[in-house]
This record gives sequence, C-alpha cells and structure tokens, in this order.
Amino acid sequence: MKSCLIVDDSKVIRMVAKKILQELSFSTLEAEDGQGALDACKKELPDAVLLDWNMPVMNGIEFLRALRDLPGGDRPVVVFCTTENDIAHIQEAIEAGANEYIMKPFDSEILQAKFSQVGLLDD
Amino acid sequence: MDDLLSEFLTETAESLATLDVELVNLEQNPNDRDILSNIFRLVHTIKGTCGFLGLPRLEALAHSGENVLGKFRDGELEVNADAVTLILASIDRIKEILNHLEATESEPEGHDRDLIDMLNAMAEGRPVSMAAFTHAPDAPVEEAPAAEVDDAPSFPVAAELLAEVEAALAQGKRAASDRELEAEMAAERAKETGPAAAPVPAAVPVPVAAPVHAAADDDDEPPVAGRKAAVPAKTGAAPAPAGGEGGAKDSAIASQTIRVNVDLLENLMTLVSELVLTRNQLLQMVRGRDDSEFAAPLQRLSHITTDLQEGVMKTRMQPIGNAWAKLPRIVRDLSIETGKKIDLQMYGAETELDRQVLELIKDPLTHMVRNSADHGLEDPETRKASGKAETGVIKLNAFHEGGHIIIEISDDGRGLNINRIRDKALANGLATETDLDSMNDQQVAQFIFKAGFSTAEKITSVSGRGVGMDVVRTNIEKIGGTVELKTYTGRGTTFTIKIPLTLAIVSALIVECAVERFAIPQISVLELVRVTANSETKIEKINRAPVLRLRDRLLPLVSLGNLLKLRHDDIQEIAANLADENNELSETFIVVTQVGTYTFGIIVDRVFDTEEIVVKPVAPILRHINMFSGNTILGDGSVIMILDPNGIATATGEVTMGSTASQEAAATHAAMRTDDQTSLLIFRAGTPELKAVPLALVARLEEIELDKVEYSFGKPVVQYRGQLMPLVTVTDMHTMRNEGRQPILVFSDRDRSMGLVVDEIVDIVEDRLKVELKAEMPGIIGTAIIGDKATDVIDTGYYLTAAFGDWFGAHQALPDNSRATSGRAVLLIDDSPFFRNLLTPLLSVSGYDVTAVESAERALGMLDGGLRFDCIVSDIEMPGMDGFEFAEAVRGDDRFNTIPLIALSSHATERDFERGRQVGFDDYVAKFDRDSLLTTLGHIIGSTAG
Repeated sequence: MKSCLIVDDSKVIRMVAKKILQELSFSTLEAEDGQGALDACKKELPDAVLLDWNMPVMNGIEFLRALRDLPGGDRPVVVFCTTENDIAHIQEAIEAGANEYIMKPFDSEILQAKFSQVGLLDD
Repeated sequence: MDDLLSEFLTETAESLATLDVELVNLEQNPNDRDILSNIFRLVHTIKGTCGFLGLPRLEALAHSGENVLGKFRDGELEVNADAVTLILASIDRIKEILNHLEATESEPEGHDRDLIDMLNAMAEGRPVSMAAFTHAPDAPVEEAPAAEVDDAPSFPVAAELLAEVEAALAQGKRAASDRELEAEMAAERAKETGPAAAPVPAAVPVPVAAPVHAAADDDDEPPVAGRKAAVPAKTGAAPAPAGGEGGAKDSAIASQTIRVNVDLLENLMTLVSELVLTRNQLLQMVRGRDDSEFAAPLQRLSHITTDLQEGVMKTRMQPIGNAWAKLPRIVRDLSIETGKKIDLQMYGAETELDRQVLELIKDPLTHMVRNSADHGLEDPETRKASGKAETGVIKLNAFHEGGHIIIEISDDGRGLNINRIRDKALANGLATETDLDSMNDQQVAQFIFKAGFSTAEKITSVSGRGVGMDVVRTNIEKIGGTVELKTYTGRGTTFTIKIPLTLAIVSALIVECAVERFAIPQISVLELVRVTANSETKIEKINRAPVLRLRDRLLPLVSLGNLLKLRHDDIQEIAANLADENNELSETFIVVTQVGTYTFGIIVDRVFDTEEIVVKPVAPILRHINMFSGNTILGDGSVIMILDPNGIATATGEVTMGSTASQEAAATHAAMRTDDQTSLLIFRAGTPELKAVPLALVARLEEIELDKVEYSFGKPVVQYRGQLMPLVTVTDMHTMRNEGRQPILVFSDRDRSMGLVVDEIVDIVEDRLKVELKAEMPGIIGTAIIGDKATDVIDTGYYLTAAFGDWFGAHQALPDNSRATSGRAVLLIDDSPFFRNLLTPLLSVSGYDVTAVESAERALGMLDGGLRFDCIVSDIEMPGMDGFEFAEAVRGDDRFNTIPLIALSSHATERDFERGRQVGFDDYVAKFDRDSLLTTLGHIIGSTAG
C-alpha cells in the first residue's frame, strides 16, 4: 500500500482528498502546513505528497524545497494542487521539484489521471 | 447536516473571525507583508474550498475579494480605509451567505454583483464610490428554494451530479459506502447517530464537485454514476454536532482532536459537581477517625476527584481571546464613525476561563469597550488641546488571580463626568442632594451602574441603545463576579471585572454564627482577623458603631448575628469581653469583606475552613432575602446558606453604589481635604478612648489642686492668674477626681481662659488630621487615625461656648451686635473640615445663620441655585477653584456683586491683602484671628443693614 501525505490548511480539502486517495488504495497522512508536513517527512518519507500552495507557517513551495533537500527527499512524488494557476506559479513549482501540478477543485478522475501519469498507480 | 459542509462552515467561520482582526491590523500597518499574506491566504482558502463544495456564489465573491487582496500584496494597490471597508463588507456578505447555508444547507438566492463590481473596479484601479456602498441592498438573503442549482448556469455539473446521486441512491448503491463512512465518523465525533443515516438532503449541492477545471478531461459527460456516487454519498450522512470550536487547534494529525457536544460537557460537569459533594461527605465521615481503614482509599478517591474536576473544567476552558475577537473590528468601525483615533491593546488573550462564563461576559465586555470608545475617549482635537497623544488607548487586560479571572478595561480618555452623573442621579431621584454632597467622586461615579442611567448627551448609533451599565453589572453579578470602577477626570476610566473561573463550584469560607454555619464566597473575602484580649487589633467603638482599626484604616463592622436576627449582639459587651485579659477563651473573628469599593468586616463566632462548594439556587421561599445568594450541601450532609456580601452591604445601609450618604463617604470625603501635618495633643477624658485637639488651640497645660476648685452657680471654677476660670468636662457623665491633682487643658483668648478637664495627657504627635468618621455627638468633630490609633477629635468651639456662652462675642465693639446680626445668613467656604467645624459654631453663637461648604464650586452652585447670603466668608487656598477666582466669579456676576466678601487665609501678608482687595474682597482676615473676623463681619453686615 502506498502512502500519501496530504498537506492543506483546510480540513475540508484534506477530508475530500483523503476520501479519494483511500479509494485509490493509498494510506494517508495529513498535515496542515508545510512545517507539519516536513516533520512528518522527517519521520518517514511518503510515496506521494499532495501539496497546497498557500498555507500558514510554511507554504507549499518552501516545504517542497526543504523536502528535496532531505536525504532521500527526491523520492516522493509531489503533486501540487492549488488555485494559483498562472504560468509563473507553475514554473516556480516545477523548478522547485514538483512532479505534477493540478488545479483546485479536483476530483477523483483528475487525481487518478495525474497519479497514473507520474507512475504512482500500478494499472 | 452534511459532515463536509459542517466542517466547511466551522472552518470558514474561524477564518472569517481571523480576517476581521487581521484586516483591522492591516489598516493600521498597511505595509506589513505578513498580515497581508495571511489575509490573502485565508480568503484564498475560502475560495478554494468553495470550489469543492459547489458554492458558486461564495466562490465568486471570495474570488473578487482575493483579486483585490492580490493587488495589495503585489503592491499594485494601496491599502486604505475605503478598501478595507469594502473588503470587510464583502466578508460580512460572506457571513450572511454562510448563515443561510447553515440554516438551509444551500446558498441563498441572489447575487453579489454590487460588491463584485466594486471589488473588480478597485482591482482595476478605477475609482470606487463608497457613497454608493450601502449594506447589502440588492442581495437580500432569502430562503432559497431547493432548486438553486438551476439558476447557476455556470455550474451545470452540480445539477447533473445531483441527479446522479439520486440515481445512485435509487439503485441502492450507497449502502457500502455508508458503512465506510460511519467507521470514519466514529473516529471524528463522540456521538454516533443511527446507522440508517438520514437520506442525503435533496437540496445539498453535492460536496465533491464535478470538474470545472481547465485541465478537464476529454469529455463533458458526467462520469460513470456508479463510481462517482460513492464519493458524494460518503459525505452525506449523520448530522454533525453543533459547536464552533476546536477546529482551529487541529494538530497535524487531524484525528487527535474530537468534537464533543457542549451539552455533554455540561452534563459531565454536573456529575463531577455531585461527585465532589459526595467526596466531601465521605471525607467528613472519616475525619477524626484516624484508624479508619477507609482513610487511604478515600485519600486516593479525593485526589482523583480533584484531578477529574480539574480535567473536566479544562475541557470547558476557552481563551478569553475568543470573546475579544470581534472587538478590533468594532473599535475600527467606531473610530471611522466617530472620527477618533483609537488604539485597542489586548493583553492576556490566552487567559482561559469557563466557556459558560465566557458566553455571559462577552456582551458586557463588548458594551464596555464600546462605551470607552464612544464616551471615554475624546476626539483628536480635544486630546491634542489637553496635551495628550491624538490616539486614544483602550486597554484590555486579563489575568488569573487566586482562582479568579481579572479583566481590566481601561481608557485614557476624559474620565466620567462626575457633575453630570450627580445631576442625573438627582434628577432621577436616585439620591438626595445631601446624600450626594457627602460622597466623593468615586462614589458618585458608581451611579452609572444604576438602572436607567446614560450620561451621553448625544445618542450615537453606538451607545444609547437602552443597554446600560446596569445590565453589565447585573450580568456580571449573575455569575458571581464583581465590577469596580475608577475614574479620574482627564485621565480616563478603568473598569475591573473579577469573575470566578467557573460557576458550578466555588471556593467558600465556612463560618459559624449562633451555632449556624454559613458560606461566604472566597471572592469577596479579603482577610480574616482574629480578635482577642491580647491581639494587636481591637474592636473600638465610635459613635456607638463598632469599628476595627486595621492598619491605618477604620473598618466598619456588622454583626452577622444581629443582621440575621439570630441573636442580639451587644458590641460593647463583645468588646468588654475581649478586653478582659483573664478571659483567655474569649475571641471573635472578623471576616474582612470587600464589595465594590466598600470594605467592611463581618463579625462571626468561628471560622472553619475553605471548602469547594457546589452552588444551588436559593429556594423560592427565601429568595426575597437578598443576604443569601444560594445554598449548598456540606460534607457532613448539612444544608447551609451561602451569604451574599453584596446583600449584606446593602442590608447594613451601606450600599456600594452609594445611594445613601454614609459615614464613610463623609469621612473619606472630608479626609481628602486636609493633608497637612498638624501638631495634635492626645489625651484621655471620661472614656478610655483617645481624644485629640490641635495643639495650636491649647494655651497651656496645667495641673490644678482639686481642693482649689470652687463653685460658681453650681459650676466648677478655679482661680487662675487672678481670674475665675470655668472648668468644663468632656461629657456630662465625666466627673472630676475628688482629691489630688487634675490635669486640664487651658484654652485662652485675650484675658479669658477656660479649663477642659482631662484624665491624662497622653502625647503630642505630629500627624495628618484626617477625619475618617464623622461624629454626630456634640463636642466631637469626628474620629481620625492619629499615631496609628483611632482618636476622637474634639470640637473646641463647642466647649468654649459651654464655658462662656458669649465667648466669641463678649468683646465685640458693638454691644447691639447680636441683635444687628441675628438671622443674617453667612456662607462659609473652607476646604478644611476642621475650620468649618471650628468657625461654624463660632459664627452661630454670634447670631449668624451659617451655611458651610467645602468648595468654591459648590458655593457658586448654591448662589446659582437662588440661595442668598448677607455675607460670604471664603478661604483662599482651596483645591479646585481658589478664593481669588471665586471672588472674581462672584464679582463678575451682576446678581451677586453686591454681596460682601471676606477673605480668610493663613497667609495674611500685605501682598495677599492687596490681591484680595483687587479681586473684590471687602476685607481680608487672618485665619486664626477670630476677633477680627467677628468685628469685620459685624462691621460689614452692620453697615449693609444700615
């Protein structure tokens, strides 16, 4: 079973994402900001990270950079999901090491499609 | 309600509360990037989440708001009051929509074109007319019909999805996911509803919205029903419990917190209260039996109960900041409305207290902050003119203090308008003029807590809504709290609220009186004093009223036994018993109690310990007795009454709100006036109490041989320096010794002398003559603390007239003086009670009708009020308006400029004389020169009388 860390400051969104991911047979972990996510990653690296951009304490992009600096931190697949959908943001995210970029609101279909693209799903 | 929706509502409500605060912060620090990005993020999150839930109206509004905020963040737009007002308006609208959403689970009909247009205009840098902005005029929040999805053409998927869900439901496809869902729910909440969950409400926009994203997959067709239906169905089950807290404190792993119904906690608290009672009962039973086998387990039970109680109490605790969250916004709106600059400072927001208490003080607090902003603080010009910073400060401070929470609300504004309160109290019949005269400013200020009191001249939209400080006080007292007020003209006002941490269980002192036990809430107990024959503090009697001298303060005492008519305590007897050094067993206890600004002592027989008691309401049959605030069951099972210190204070006639003129009021009032050090002669005469007289008035101290005493018309006299000197005793009861020598105080004036018979000259001390308690006995001015002892200050004038009825008038040049002056009204103004008391009898004996007041302001008030005097005698050095100013004021008024004025001063230099004459005094008399005062008076009045 693959693990996915859901990082979003909105509990509503975490709940939605958790439902979808569990259906896709992921075990899920949650964090409400970048710092929490980083702490979780230091304990154990997940297979995937579903990452929000705008969060208190530490935002998504900062987390992403910190994650990639961790030993083995290049392994988790990071999917950015945010409403910041202009090219500049996407570019910045990709440069920081994001594997995929999806727009809110997302649903199971999209998530599944993107996860297959980055090779997280077996079928 | 849909779990996801309820979560969304909670989360968004929290975000909005933060937004209110942050936006106000932003306005003050427009360049603070942290605040800006926090605001941006919050709005952004709201927008993002709306997308998931299919709330197009909210999303559109939040989006426009975010746009404007984005421009702020990128520095393209400037943060100004208008912009913040617009954003706040948008947030208000979002709140309206959320309320509707909460009530009906759907967005209200209508649109937010008005706001969105303005937001967009602002984002594009076009001028926005704020005048056009009125509060949500064209977007009434209406009851939305279930089919609101129909009018959202931009969001067609929701309708399709809805149909899908219904189809799926019809096919029974939600059963499996429901079970899954319940497993999830179990972790998330304490209460479980039945497994046959309520059907998905037809009107709910299905939570997980269908794709409306740019990267949409290939087809526009809704996805396969079977697969999708599982998602929405999962989320639409049991109703979420009500309650708005908890969400914000989610830890990283969301399942570490659960949400619990408030009722459940209340219930738990009640049970714990009962447990505490039972524990106390058990402890009582085992107490005194050392060998009991129950002792050890009971000890453990006791500890666990205490821990449990604390634990349960903690679950109900919330930071007081929750009650303050709205305040910055309120103050901000107020400052715009009133044009004042206000800085709201909040300290101790993390201080926790019981949520029930929190709910109850929320409104009073808001009201008081409003008051401070509206009435307390001046506008910038006025502040500048009085040399203060333009920005007024309102300070909120909360902290713990011995089981209580103290909340201070202070402003640095103009202070309460004491005169207006005085007038209003008079006008409303709350007090008589005499009552008011004897009160000091702080006591007068307390009237604002009376019902129907508002001194605001102008009724703004802010205050004057019929909610007065009386409501505030009632609310606070309802929860066993107290509210105190201190105000300083020109320097501001401070309210101090003291409330118990929790309502159900209070800490109380158990006392006994006449074999009955009573509980006194610990909150009002300042200290306990044990009085015995050998103790330092003693009960003294002043004016037949018992007082306790405690560290430089005279404390009025009440006997609980007398008050509750349990028995009749004779204070004299108690004091005598206590004074009896042989009676070692004799002791009594005084519970020093504070109610508002009034401190008094309650005499009780015994004091037991402090106990946690569970407050039960007073039975209806006893409810009319306001000396009780409730009852409780003690550990031994007995039911005892809880005393209400407030009620006791009222019952003793001493009302904290100052509705009656009190001795203390008069005393402190008088005490405020004389601060100078005076040489005082301390002596004893007649009674064991100490007496004092200003040394300046005493000519000599003599000891006379008693066999030299002769009698003239039945009155004792001695030959003294070739004259007959009358001897006077302090009271009629007091007799002279029969033989030996008797000390006397000689008061001498010109060639006449009088001897006051005393028992013993104790000391001469240099101290402030500060009359604490006024006496109603002839011959005594009042009681003061002199050299740490309660001492009666004698009225020399009284004894002088006792010796020679014509003492003051004897050597008047005009023999017909008394006839000429009789009934002539003289107004005497002197801030010193001592001189007023000395001169009033002096003038009275000479036939004048004397009115004495303590300030020039009051004298002017009396003149304005139509009182007429034949002559005014005024002191020069007085606080507030001095004598010179007073004279100018009188001379400047056509109505009064013919009234003769005599200045009275201890500074009788030529220059003073000159200045006195310039401002309009007819004559100038040195203060101690009684003769020339009388001569001058007689002369002036005699001449005006023609």
